[in-house]
Parts: sequence; C-alpha cells; structure tokens
Amino acid sequence: MSATVGSVKFKPGDYKSSLNPVWCPGCGDFGVLNALYRAMSQLEIEPWNAVILSGIGCSSRLPGYVDTYGFNGVHGRALTLATGVKVARPELTVIAVGGDGDGLAIGGNHLIHTARRNLDLTYILMDNEIYGLTKGQVAPTTPTGDKTKSTFWGNPEPAVDPCELAISTGATWVARGFSGDVKLTTQLIADAIRHNGFSFLNVMSPCVTWRGDHQFKALKEILAYLPEDHDRSDRHEALKYTREKGVLTTGVLYEVKEPSFNDRLEEMKAQAMAGRKEPTTRDILATFLPKF
Amino acid sequence: MPTQDLTFAIVGSGGDGVVTIGDFMAQAGARVGLHCMKVEAYGPQIRGGESSCTVRISAVPIFAQGDRADVVLAFNWADFGRFKSEIVASPNAVVLCEADDETPREEVETFLGTSEGARWIPVPFTRLAKESAGTTLAKNIVTLGICCELFGLPREGLIAAVTKKFGAKKAAVLEANLRGFEAGEAWAREYAGQVADKHLEYTPGEEPKLLMSGNELSAVAALHAGCRFFAGYPITPSSEVLQFLSEWMPRVGGHLVQTEDELAAIGAVIGASFAGVKSMTATSGPGLALMTEMLGLAAMAEVPAVIIDVQRGGPSTGLPTKSEQADLWQALFGSHGDAPRVVLAPADVEDCFHATVAAFNIAEETQLPVIVLSDQFIAQRKETLSMLTLDHEVVGRQVPTAGELEGYQRYRDTKTGISPMTWPGMKGGEYQTNGLEHDEAGRPSSMHLVHEKMNAKRYRKLRVVRDKYSFFRTYGPENADLGIVCWGSAKGPVKEAVLRANGRGEKVSAFVPQMLYPFPNHDFHHYLSGVRDLIIFELSYSAQFYKYLRTFEDLPDGHTFLFKRSGGKNLTVGEVEDKIKKVLEIGNLRREVLV
Repeated sequence: MSATVGSVKFKPGDYKSSLNPVWCPGCGDFGVLNALYRAMSQLEIEPWNAVILSGIGCSSRLPGYVDTYGFNGVHGRALTLATGVKVARPELTVIAVGGDGDGLAIGGNHLIHTARRNLDLTYILMDNEIYGLTKGQVAPTTPTGDKTKSTFWGNPEPAVDPCELAISTGATWVARGFSGDVKLTTQLIADAIRHNGFSFLNVMSPCVTWRGDHQFKALKEILAYLPEDHDRSDRHEALKYTREKGVLTTGVLYEVKEPSFNDRLEEMKAQAMAGRKEPTTRDILATFLPKF
Repeated sequence: MPTQDLTFAIVGSGGDGVVTIGDFMAQAGARVGLHCMKVEAYGPQIRGGESSCTVRISAVPIFAQGDRADVVLAFNWADFGRFKSEIVASPNAVVLCEADDETPREEVETFLGTSEGARWIPVPFTRLAKESAGTTLAKNIVTLGICCELFGLPREGLIAAVTKKFGAKKAAVLEANLRGFEAGEAWAREYAGQVADKHLEYTPGEEPKLLMSGNELSAVAALHAGCRFFAGYPITPSSEVLQFLSEWMPRVGGHLVQTEDELAAIGAVIGASFAGVKSMTATSGPGLALMTEMLGLAAMAEVPAVIIDVQRGGPSTGLPTKSEQADLWQALFGSHGDAPRVVLAPADVEDCFHATVAAFNIAEETQLPVIVLSDQFIAQRKETLSMLTLDHEVVGRQVPTAGELEGYQRYRDTKTGISPMTWPGMKGGEYQTNGLEHDEAGRPSSMHLVHEKMNAKRYRKLRVVRDKYSFFRTYGPENADLGIVCWGSAKGPVKEAVLRANGRGEKVSAFVPQMLYPFPNHDFHHYLSGVRDLIIFELSYSAQFYKYLRTFEDLPDGHTFLFKRSGGKNLTVGEVEDKIKKVLEIGNLRREVLV
C-alpha cells in the first residue's frame, strides 16, 4: 500500500488486491468494484480499518478483490457476520456485499432485522435478477414470467423490490444504482458509507451469461433519474419510486437521520459504566450471595 | 436421631408460591453455609399450572438432587400426579398435605412410594393463612413457618427472607406475613415429636455460600475469560445466559445483541471474533442444529468461537424444560465436511465456570470453535458454591509478532497448525478469509493438494489441545472390581453412589471425562486397565456415549454393561446403586464359578 502525497491518500488502484476476479467478461460487478475503489479513495479510508463481508454468489467474491480486511462467509449470512464486526468494533468501516439471491432469499431475514436495528453499516446488493454462480436459476428479483433454468414454464412468482423492502423495514438510507454508470455508483457508495445508520444500495448489475447481452441494454433504456425536487426524507415520496415495469429510477430514494444501533448501544454502555469502575469477577459473583 | 441431610419436594399450582418456598429455604441454608441444591420443574403452561421444586439441604457436601423426598409438601394432589415417577418420597417420609384435599390416601401412596413408616400430617394451609395473615396468599409463608419448626431450618434466615420480600410494601403486609410464619410454627409444635428424625442438625458456618445455576455461572465465567461480545437467541433452557449478560455485558464495556435467529447469533459471534473480540453464544439442541453450518465456517476460517449448548430432551421441540444427554453426536460430529472442533462437558454447576473459561482459552490458543456441552440439569438447578474455588487462569488473544507480520500469511502452515492471526485495525495484517478452501495466504483454491494440506493443518491443532489439556475426574480406588464411566450431569448421582459404595467397603470407581473431543484417550485407557467390570451410564435412548467410546477403545469384552434411558427425568443415585449391586453380584458369581 503506497500512500501518495497531496490530497489523495490512497488512489483507487491502491485498494486493488492481487487476486484476479473470477467474473465473466462484461459482468456488471466490475463496475461496482471499480466504483467501490473510487469511493474508498474519495473517503480516504485506511484499508486496515475497513472490513468487507459477503455471503455466497458471484458478487460475494468481491471482498477478495479489495485489499482491506475481508470475509467471504457462507450463503445468506453476510449481514450476520457484519453485525458482529460492527457491534464489537464500532470504529471500523464495515461494508457488506452480495447478490439478490444471497440477500433477499436465503438471507432475507437478516436484511429485515439489520435494517430494523439501523446498524451503522453499508450493504451493497448487486442485483442481476438471477442466480449466476449456480448457473441460471430464478431469483427473488426475476420478473414474473421469465424463463430461467429452474422455471421452464416461466417464473410463477412476483419479484420483490429490494429498495421498497429496505425502506419499509427501517433502513435510514436507501438508493438504487446501475453498475453501468460508475460515476453515479461511486457517488452513491461514498454517500452510503458516510451515512450514520443502515445504508442500503441496490445496484442493478447485469449478468451477461445468464440474462444475455440484452439485459444491459434493456436496463439502460428504462433508466431514469430522480426529479431534482425529490424529498428524500419523505417515506411516502420515496416509495413512489419502487420498481415499476419499464422504469428504473436511480439515486437516493430515502434518507433520514435516526440514532443508529451503535449509537444506542454506546449510550447504554455509558449508562451502565457511568462513574463505576469495571466490576471484577468477585464483584459479580457477590451478587449471588443470599439476598438477605 | 436428627439428620444431616434433608430433601424437600414441594408441588402446587401457580399462586401457591412453590418457587418462593424453595428459594427461601435454599437461600436461608446458603446464608449459614449449608450445602443446598434446588431443582425446579414446571408444566408446559407459561403462567399458572403445576410447578414443583425439590430442595436438598445438607450439613455435608452433596452431589445429587436427592432421589427421594424426606418431606413432601402437597397443596393439591392433582398437581402432584403430574410429576408421577419424577418425584418419589422415601418410605418413611413426612407428608404434609392440604387437609381439605379429599383424594384418598391409598391412591397417592402408590405413586409416592411411601410405606407404613410414613407420617401423614394433614395441614389446613389455607385456613391457617386466612386466620393469621388475613389472606390465602400467605399460604407459602405459613408453610415455611411449619417447616422451620418441624425440621429445624435456619429460622433467622427465613425471617430475614420474609422481611426482605415484604419490607418494601406497607408495614401491615409485612406484619401479616410474619404473623403467618409464627402461626405456622405454633400449629406445628404439637407434631414436632413425631418427626424428630427429620430434624436437621448442623453447625452454622462462618461464610455464607453463593447460590447459583450453571447458566449463571457460565455467564460469569465468560466475563471472567474476557468475553466482550455475546449474541444469542432465546431458547429454553439456555436463556438465563443471554438474560444475565444483557445486564452485565455493558457494565464491563462489552456488547450484546439478541439476534433474529441462531444463524445470526453464530454469524455475529464469528464476525466479532474475526474483529478481535472474544465472543460467545449460548443455545440448546435445536439452536445448535441451526448453527451447524457456521460451525463449519468457524473451523474453515479458523475463527475462535465459544458455543454453549444446554441440552434438553429431543429431537425437534422435544422436552424443552427437561434434561437429556442426546446432543452428543451433534456436538461431536454435526458437520458437513471435516470440521475440527473441541467439545467440553461440565459435570456440575461449578464445572460450568471452569469449562467455560477453558473453552475460551482453547478457542483463543487454537482458533477453533469450542462447544461447552452443558445440560438442563446443571444449567438450571441452583447449587451452593464457595467463592474461593471460582478462579481460573485466562489466556488472551494471541498477538502476531513483528516477524510474523513480515510477508504476512494468515494461514501459514506451521508445525502446530496454528497460524498468526491479525484483526482489523492492524496495519500490514490485512487478509481476506474464506469459507472456501484456501491456501496459506487465504486465496480461494479448489485444488485437492491444497485441501489435503489445509485439512491436515486444521486437524493438527487438536493435538495441541490433547497434549496440553486432559480434563477428567476419577472417584474411588485405583484398582476396582467395578468401574463406571459417565459424563455431564450424570456425574452427580454416580459420584454419590460410588462414595456410598466405597463407604460400604465395595471397590467401585468412576471415570468422568470433561473433555469429549479430543477425548483423553490415554487417561481413559489407563483407567480401564485398573477395573474389572465396567458400567456406562447415560441419558440417551440410542446410547450415543457408549457407541462413541467404542469408536476408539475396545471396552472390556463380556465385562461391559450399559445403563441408558431417555431423559425427561434426571439420573438418580438409586438407579446407579441398583446397577452397581447387580454387576458386583455378577462379578462375584463369575469368580465363584471360575474358581
């Protein structure tokens, strides 16, 4: 890691690890990875004070490609690992990443509860509307009717909108991005990391292998930006930009200031320790002597 | 002749104050240094319903809950019937039962197990309470007065307990309850002569004792060991660990999260430990099942983690409030792939302290998940303890040296298998860990050669554990006609039965391993060489422990006997004694024939 002179402490390339991505050429996740390097550089994040955690899936390989502390865990559990890291070491920058299957199907319960707690971390969900690593099965964000390897007759299920889910379960910063727009995604990631509380970024990240070349073009065509006067502090306004067929609105849909889980825990800790010295084992045991 | 050892069984409905009676008796005993053990059992109702409590109070050390009650307190025989075969009275017990209950005595005697020598004393509990205190709510306080008078319980302590409980209320409430206590004493006076053999004789000690459950002690042990992160999901019978730590973890500057499920609990524990903080979770069998995938992750990523499994009856929801020893295989082998872990098994309440601290020490030294396999019987019963025995050396997180950080490799293949571990915040120690198989640098790899090498590295760490630690206990003479092997909470009744047998001059011994994986093979082998016949005791219908022992040791052919049954009822001294008697007879017969 070479620190450079001037205002930029770490160049985007400084965050690049020696591992080459296993992703297919043209995978949307490259855009997210590049945006992450840039955002971390913008924020001058010291690599040794950052942890990137993931579950399983194509996008979950990302921690290996960033030269910070990283943890590629088990399927669906990125947020549980991240919870332990952030609660135990609140001073660290903690970023969880993963795909739509990992975060919305097998790990959906953890998304709900991490959002509800408003834990101060960033969750980047790279959404390609398909299971890529297992080679092309239907995912929770696959549009109804789509034929995939596991929906021979077409997908019988409606898709979930990850942003709508995050807003309704308590996330305090929610945005939608597109990996084809690296500039926008960089800005969104930087904003997400800066936010105090649970920041949720749903990045549309096309899968060239299982969704075909057309997914990139199709997404680009329906891409829209939020109106300038969008009131992001208004939950009802934010929910107007959930995914409708034919429109994909990018930008920060929702942002409010609330005490994070960490704020509350630290406050309780301060209250529990106020003016007292740390109890010894003997002090604790003595509370079990007969009470009278 | 007075007695030194008295067991009470108390059964009633919600509102009878059964738990308060037991609690006051045990605390009053602990206050004057007596040895006490209190076990509660409930029906499935959340509130109300039948509840039972047995309290054993003794002037001499005790190791089991007391098979047979010397004193039975029954407010209602219908409730008592629900604990049939679980609560048995001694043949000459003193039975104090509600005078208004019209259940025929013969009907009760059959399941109570009393004989001619029993003393049946109908007590107008309700009437006495109403007359003295003006409310039937004081029934339990009246009962305490009666017991104090008849059985010589520590009066000062009981009065202090009543005063403490009602002192904060209106003066009239306290006065009414104290009147109730005294009315109980006065009523009982005329019966004292009939029950003199049940009068407790003791010399008050100078030091009061602690009164704690295994769960409470595990929680304190975790704090002692430097645990500063706990994540857990409520599950009977382990929730007291979560509850206790929710108060105390912040007081020592740590953090606690009640997660959305057990998957998240173990995930958060692994995350926090990866981040450099000693971490623990506590659960029961069904929760451990959910944690199994990430137990593999902890083994693969080599992250220290402590998991307490308080066993209950299973499978599935099973018997949530009762004990069993049938999570053994799950703890030892529950895994996809070859996932090394260490399994420790506390055998009594005090052990919960030492086993939990040892679990942290081993986890930190070897970067392995360590399971503390407790069970409901030791986790939820309350037992008196001396503060003095509760200390244990603590091993801190191992910090990499400057040399190790030079060209740092997280999973460097060392002689012991243990590699230097950095954590976030350490400059130059950055690494990416993986549930995927990985090479020494942590880079994912699917190569057979890497897998073989790293499996060997991870399993080699168990040798360090085996060489350094050998937790087991033995009781009885070095060379014995009969040896007993058991684990966990079965130890209490086994130890008591062995000591009684030794008192009769019988050469009986016991071996109780407290580390189940890796198993103290050499010590066990040595033990077997000194015994002729062998009995294995366990509360597992499919005999998991017996079968496990057979995987690495040829048990004496034709000389090995097995006592196994389902949990749901704790092992009793009587069951152990009965089996000892039979096997000793077989041994003697065989010797006669062979001579």
